Amino acid sequence: MGLIEHQFEENLLTTKVDWLLNWARLSSIWPMTFGLACCAIEMMAVGAAHHDIDRFGAGAFRASPRQADLMIVAGTVNFKMGERVKRLYDQMPSPKYVIAMGACATGGGPYYKYGYTVVKGVDRIIPVDVYIAGCPPRPEALLEGLMKLQSKIRNTSVIRKPVLTA
Amino acid sequence: MEFEGIIQRLREIGAPGLVSTDEPRAADPEDKKDKGRAGDAFVLVEPSAIVGFLAACRDDAELAFDLLVDLSATDPDAADEQFWIDYQLLSTTRRHRLAIKALVAKEGAEIPTATAVYRAAGWHERECAEMFGITFVGHPDPRNILLPDDWVGHPLRKDYEFPTEYHGISCE
Repeated sequence: MGLIEHQFEENLLTTKVDWLLNWARLSSIWPMTFGLACCAIEMMAVGAAHHDIDRFGAGAFRASPRQADLMIVAGTVNFKMGERVKRLYDQMPSPKYVIAMGACATGGGPYYKYGYTVVKGVDRIIPVDVYIAGCPPRPEALLEGLMKLQSKIRNTSVIRKPVLTA
Repeated sequence: MEFEGIIQRLREIGAPGLVSTDEPRAADPEDKKDKGRAGDAFVLVEPSAIVGFLAACRDDAELAFDLLVDLSATDPDAADEQFWIDYQLLSTTRRHRLAIKALVAKEGAEIPTATAVYRAAGWHERECAEMFGITFVGHPDPRNILLPDDWVGHPLRKDYEFPTEYHGISCE
């Protein structure tokens, strides 16, 4: 940390606010319990002992959107559910993140052509941070998606560039 | 009881609305156009008499069809003028089954509800109603069961046109 490093006693750590906030956010992403179809089975496998999403600090699945940071849209979203998805997303506190898991949530998947009630991608309803391919994706793919999201959070900053007005 | 026995019993008790029976058969090897018919043997029933027919099937001691397994409909072709409404009955005590078919005109399609005979028909008829636009006259709860309440059209009809947008979400 440059000039002020090693200037204090040894039990003091110096860091940047950005680094601290990002580290806190990315190390404790609480996902919402939100399974819509077969992808949810893979999501459950990710939460279980073998793959163990807790290694990434994201194992605290919350049953309420008000306690969750991450919505893993795991499965087929139809229009009737889409409105609920939007409402649940709006109820989550910021900063909030969305992973579109699998072909259905990404772009309608196998229901693209003849699924008359299927939303052709959840990004038509809510903003998506990470898309995961697969039908359904392997648990490892969801873990990689989570790591991608973590690296995305790692690069965010609380300080915004000042907007200069004339 | 086998199919022949069931038919014989239905005729004996004078089940109302029984039109004809149809059994699967192999294709005629001489006639190239004849493909035969696969599937189950069924009885064809007059739609207006379906409630009495089902009640006769349920209440007769020898038939004893105590369970409605399924109720569904088929739109065979866009050019066809009729829907098929199919009832599948099972007797859990006699261990036999019966498939019933009723043909209704697509134009203003309606048939009396079977809920008075089999309560299980309620949800099946709601699904049929929203998917095909068939009115089940006298249904106790004729709301949509799967589709949203404001859904336009009947998706399982062959002439169904796919929506282009729903509540501002594009379907293109």
